[in-house]
Amino acid sequence: MAELRRITHGYPLPDGSRKTVLQDVDLTLSQGGFHVILGRSGCGKSTLLRLIAGLETPDHGRIDLTGDKVGVVFQEPRLMPWLSVEENVGFLIKGRVAADELAARVAAMLRTVGLARVARAWPDQLSGGMAQRVAIARALVSRPGLLLMDEPFGALDAFTRKQMQDELVQIWRETGTTIVFVTHDIEEALRLGQSILVLEEGRFALKFALEASYPRDGAEPAVNAARQRLLDQLFARTALPDRVATLKRTTA
Amino acid sequence: MNDSKRFSLAVLVFAGLFGLWAGSSAMGLVSPFLLPSPLDVWKGFVGLVGNGKLADHTGISILRVLMGYALAIVLALALSLMMAASRVFAALADPPLEFLRQIPPLALMPLIMLWLGIGEAQKVGIIVLACFFPIFLGFRGGFAQVDPRLIEVGHAAGFPRRELLRRIALPAALPAIVIGLRLGLGHGWRALVGAELIASSAGLGYMILDAQDLARTDIVMVGILVIGAIGLAADAGLKALVRWRMPWIRQDLELRNG
Repeated sequence: MAELRRITHGYPLPDGSRKTVLQDVDLTLSQGGFHVILGRSGCGKSTLLRLIAGLETPDHGRIDLTGDKVGVVFQEPRLMPWLSVEENVGFLIKGRVAADELAARVAAMLRTVGLARVARAWPDQLSGGMAQRVAIARALVSRPGLLLMDEPFGALDAFTRKQMQDELVQIWRETGTTIVFVTHDIEEALRLGQSILVLEEGRFALKFALEASYPRDGAEPAVNAARQRLLDQLFARTALPDRVATLKRTTA
Repeated sequence: MNDSKRFSLAVLVFAGLFGLWAGSSAMGLVSPFLLPSPLDVWKGFVGLVGNGKLADHTGISILRVLMGYALAIVLALALSLMMAASRVFAALADPPLEFLRQIPPLALMPLIMLWLGIGEAQKVGIIVLACFFPIFLGFRGGFAQVDPRLIEVGHAAGFPRRELLRRIALPAALPAIVIGLRLGLGHGWRALVGAELIASSAGLGYMILDAQDLARTDIVMVGILVIGAIGLAADAGLKALVRWRMPWIRQDLELRNG
């Protein structure tokens, strides 16, 4: 379980002031859940993930991760170019587990993500989807209690993306890992999330649970209702009036 | 251009140069004292091989260059690691190092002789000075160019600083380091004659200077050719080692900007 209490965080600007990205954010992540944080670019969702990962320290507030090992999958695969696929997968646990266990865990993980046949390949010989699978395998092989994923499928084509989403759900169900998945794609959020949290201007504007079975059909009533809530939240209140105003101005 | 084409071209260029040399000697275009003929140089070479002197001089020179090169690598690695680890140390060490980099090692010879004497330490010292900066700049540049996103991967996994350096920063910096190592090796060889200039009784540099005193330009040429050939072989060996042990460095290993 992870708890964030009253997190406020910002970045320094060139003029010496500080731009606040997250403001008094509270978040409780239930064990084993698939939590999707949805928001526009620049809303603070990646920053939130970096804070949970310990890559940044919040200006204010508290983050409690109760004994969970944390795995991180970034937007880009970030594979070590000097290591083969299997060495990359074992990279984070090498020296921390015995050599035979390392080999067994890496081999099992490569089978899970369907990359056993390219175990000896170099990262630059992989497609984008394969490289991102290696990154997911690298994060999972250390058996994290909490897996943080920052728009991991953002750079993939639509077909690979859908396939990876289904595979991720499969892995999540097999491992029971708590997942926090950041995206700006509403359909991705609806396909993956057990709980969906909408972040707007550094605060959670909407949080709800989506009770629909996997793999999800985008047209089923629960998903449709959730889609409507998200569209209402993300477009009706802010963007649409702006756009209408702009249209009015340009047509006037 | 692939490797075999490049090699063939190099052989052709050397053959052409040799032809020019042999032709101009045979036609008497240059004085044999200024440029001895290939045959005279060959005779000089055979004589030096026969009496074992060439092997002795070459062995001593190789040992000096290797010692200087190894020392320079250790120093460059230690300094660049310390500078990568501490911004304060980097800020303190940078100005004097940049100052020292502008000074040719031979200009420091009188001081080095006073500090290190006129024995082996002085000769190795000159080679260290000659190799150090290209190697050091390779390490420095390599560490500075490490993709911070790769460091973050280790950071997120809780790697301690030492592990971040050893397992991510060092291998990520290797392409730049390799270029520094190649340049450094070349500079070491080039400093050899200077290092063996004073109070020397052995080594290829000494052999060349001694031959100059005796007006034996054929032996001077032998010395020059042997230094050049060993330098080329060492560089090719280093490149082969990199291709064998670091196959991921598929980018061009050629030296850019000299």
